[in-house]
Amino acid sequence: MDNVKKRAAELLKSEAVKVVIGYTMGTNGKPRAAFIQNAEDVDSLIFNAQCVQNLAVYLSKAEIKQLGKPAIVAPLNVLRAIIQLASEMQIQENELIVLGVSPDGELIDFQNFSAIEKYLEDFNMEVDAKEKETLEKISSMSLEERWKFWNEELAECFKCYACRAACPMCYCHKCAVEQNKPQWIPVAAHRLGNLEWHIMRAMHLAGRCVNCDACHEACPKGINLNFLTKLMLNDAQEEFGYTGVTLKEGNLLSTFKTNDQENFIQ
Amino acid sequence: MSRIGVFVCHCGENISATVDVEKVAQAAAGFDDVVHSVDYKYMCSDPGQTLIKQAIKEHNLTGVVVAACSPRMHEPTFRKACAEAGLNGYMCEMTNLREHCSWVHDRTEETTEKAIDLVRMLVEKVKNNKPLEPILVPITKTALVIGGGIAGIQTSLDIANCGHKVILVEKEPSIGGHMSQLSETFPTLDCSQCILTPRMVEVAQHPNIELITYAELDSLEGYIGNFKAKIRKKAKSVDHSVCTGCGDCWGKCPSKKIPSEFNAGLGSRTAIYVPFPQAVPNKPVIDKSNCNYYQKGKCKICEKFCKPGAIRFDQEDEIVEAEVGAVVVTTGFDVVKPEFFPEYGYGKYKDVITGLQFERLASASGPTLGEIRRPSDEKVPEKVVFIACAGSRDPAKGINYCSKICCMYTAKHAMLYQHKVHTGKSFVFYMDIRAAGKNYDEFVRRAIEEDKVNYIRGRVSTVYEKDGKLIVKGADTLMNGEPIEIEADMVVLASAGISNPGSEELAQKLHVSYDRYKFFAEAHPKLKPVETNTAGIFLAGACQAPKDIPETVGMASGAASKVAALFSQPELKREPLIAVVNRQMPPVFSSCVGCFLCETACPYNAIGREEIKDRNGNVIKTLARVNEGLCQGCGTCVAFCRTKSIDIQGFSNEQMYSEVMALLND
Ligand SMILES: Cc1cc2nc3c(=O)[nH]c(=O)nc-3n(C[C@H](O)[C@H](O)[C@H](O)COP(=O)(O)OP(=O)(O)OC[C@H]3O[C@@H](n4cnc5c(N)ncnc54)[C@H](O)[C@@H]3O)c2cc1C
Ligand code: SF4
Ligand code: SF4
Repeated sequence: MDNVKKRAAELLKSEAVKVVIGYTMGTNGKPRAAFIQNAEDVDSLIFNAQCVQNLAVYLSKAEIKQLGKPAIVAPLNVLRAIIQLASEMQIQENELIVLGVSPDGELIDFQNFSAIEKYLEDFNMEVDAKEKETLEKISSMSLEERWKFWNEELAECFKCYACRAACPMCYCHKCAVEQNKPQWIPVAAHRLGNLEWHIMRAMHLAGRCVNCDACHEACPKGINLNFLTKLMLNDAQEEFGYTGVTLKEGNLLSTFKTNDQENFIQ
Repeated sequence: MSRIGVFVCHCGENISATVDVEKVAQAAAGFDDVVHSVDYKYMCSDPGQTLIKQAIKEHNLTGVVVAACSPRMHEPTFRKACAEAGLNGYMCEMTNLREHCSWVHDRTEETTEKAIDLVRMLVEKVKNNKPLEPILVPITKTALVIGGGIAGIQTSLDIANCGHKVILVEKEPSIGGHMSQLSETFPTLDCSQCILTPRMVEVAQHPNIELITYAELDSLEGYIGNFKAKIRKKAKSVDHSVCTGCGDCWGKCPSKKIPSEFNAGLGSRTAIYVPFPQAVPNKPVIDKSNCNYYQKGKCKICEKFCKPGAIRFDQEDEIVEAEVGAVVVTTGFDVVKPEFFPEYGYGKYKDVITGLQFERLASASGPTLGEIRRPSDEKVPEKVVFIACAGSRDPAKGINYCSKICCMYTAKHAMLYQHKVHTGKSFVFYMDIRAAGKNYDEFVRRAIEEDKVNYIRGRVSTVYEKDGKLIVKGADTLMNGEPIEIEADMVVLASAGISNPGSEELAQKLHVSYDRYKFFAEAHPKLKPVETNTAGIFLAGACQAPKDIPETVGMASGAASKVAALFSQPELKREPLIAVVNRQMPPVFSSCVGCFLCETACPYNAIGREEIKDRNGNVIKTLARVNEGLCQGCGTCVAFCRTKSIDIQGFSNEQMYSEVMALLND
């Protein structure tokens, strides 16, 4: 972590960047995001296993953008988000300095986005075994059981949209739930409204979700809404050979390969 | 406040026999914002249209719903009527009470209820309609014609004679195509070259035609009226602006044994060559794959003998770009290759030849100067067997279709043979004789009755050689399948016409479809035979399916007239039912976030990018932008866009939503 701090200080001093986005210790003993604008403050930067928030979410927030060019402390989940954002034209190489960190907190230098893309090839973006088991259990439920399961799971949602605020891929200025001509998704946090919101959220993340669990972490009700995106990821991998984020334009839903499976059309 | 008029049509009895149209009109009169509702026997008739026009004026209507037949049939009619009464045509909607209701249901209460619902939906939709204007697209008045056979020649001449520019691209060193190889042509037996070569010359001399030979299309981008073509001019290794076409070079070229494509392999040519004496242009190219200099690094004899100094060994392929408004594909066809007929011994026995080779034997410009002499020993064959449908109509060989021209040219071949070899005997094995066409059946009858050609209905099972004769074994199905064996001196196969080898690749470059046999596909088998499914790209000749010269020329003129019609307009008018990316007040500009996932989703490459800049020219935002010329209004992008930033004009999300809600809230 010392290398990361040193680099951050250099960058701020030379004014190569105006802000360093990283982790610091929060007042409740849990890490939180830090936006360091003075080189003297870099010592407050930390990195440990609790640093799970996906900082890439700030890259598209207007409040952060107006601070000037950022550097970002980037463990695996942030790196993935950066590549996905780049493939969706949301960030450009020259607008950002990436301070990669290895799982044990060492600084990794990346020449460019392609180098990050290459680095990520070694880390499978898979749903872990325990989660897979849960997902399989859900998938094997009968239609009625599954309907009941999701209705119960989502009943607690009161539409605070914390999941959306935490997701690095939810960068739209005007989310579909706010489009009211027509009003696609009911505004109220009733059963139907919740169901529609969560289905839409999952569909909008199909082939884009970087599996960072930021949404789940952010949910004040602890709803397992990330199961939905994980199910999508699973399908993407199994049905369409999706291997993870790339800089290539277009995504899983917007493109096709001639050998794509079509066994769902019967 | 909307003021909607509803007009329910009886369609004679087509609708009124099943749907209670009066009740529908009455029900509609009670819908919110409907100020006028009537039914009438034929809304599309003149009095029917007048009814609508008058109502628009009298009731100050802001929207019209015509409940009648398919919009495919009469939407333009009613939109025009509305426009004539001063209401924007796109404020008129049709609901289909015929195909969607009366034709598919019995006369019951529910059928009428459904009709009422259909009207209710459209009333709600039309309230959300917005006036639209047709889109005007500029047109580049130059046509690109690809392929210089008779189809391409005719198309080019017709377009050029209308006063428009044409770029004709031919991949071989000369234009002419298959027709230049033919001897005489059915059904009149006039000499092919004599009718073709004047037109070839006309092409070369026409001030409106730019002829580019030895060239192929590299890529095509853009859309109707506004295509950008890249054309690869293959290196000819000869500077045609200097060459006089004297022929000294090909007289001296030592590489002489190359099978001549023009003579279908029956003669040979040199490495520097013009394909045939009447070629246009009549200047040579060097075939690099057979040239001693290019292959072995030594020779350059042609250069030594070329007086004007036109040889350019260092010439390279050149890509030229052209802007064109329309494209006509006239790349013709091919015939199946030897390996197709192991049972007939083609390729194994020299005297088993194809129809095209027979054309060369019978042609005055051919290797035998028009005498029928068989390839093996140049003897005049005394007995010739013609096999029709060689490969065609043979599902086992993967060709289910009829090649269409073979019956006729086989009769022609047998006739020409009888005319040239009076003592000869000819036999034709056929499946049936397809001679539909003006003077065609008479032509075949003449072969049989006057020229005594022996027609045998049956298929040939095998051909093999025995004691210098070709034994043709078959059966006569008119004689109860009696086996027949003929000892022939020569066998001529009417080999199936197939698509050109490069046609699939070309179709993909052009984004047009092709059929399972890789012939180019017309947009509609009956009503749009020269159009493709890509606007501005047309077809003519045998590239669409095998066909004879009269049909090819007719189709070529048809395609040319489509191009001329397109070019005769000052601008192109298109239906405005296309996608648009929304625009909002600054600093938002649009809810589009510029993710460009729609760009990859659009099947027509219609989505591009637009930069919004501030006063100093700095880019503030990059948005998706739909190209009005390319968008087909399919709506894929609309379904795809997460932020709902794209809408189809005339079928906006809001319009669709209100239709659905009208149904659900009822
Ligand atoms: C044995 C035989 C006998 C026939 N006899 C008769 C007859 O007596 N009467 C009659 O009416 N019809 C006859 N026909 C049919 C006649 O040949 C065709 O109707 C006619 O040639 C079709 O013309 P086309 O221009 O469409 O195609 P083609 O003649 O095949 O010309 C196509 C042209 O396009 C060029 N080309 C191909 N691909 C490309 C490319 N990618 N880029 C650029 N250029 C390209 C080719 O080099 C060629 O010059 C006969 C056919 C055969 C095989
Ligand atoms: S229109 Fe929608 S899909 Fe296309 S770039 Fe904009 S936000 Fe993305
Ligand atoms: S409507 Fe269809 S053709 Fe038009 S831009 Fe959208 S996807 Fe492309």
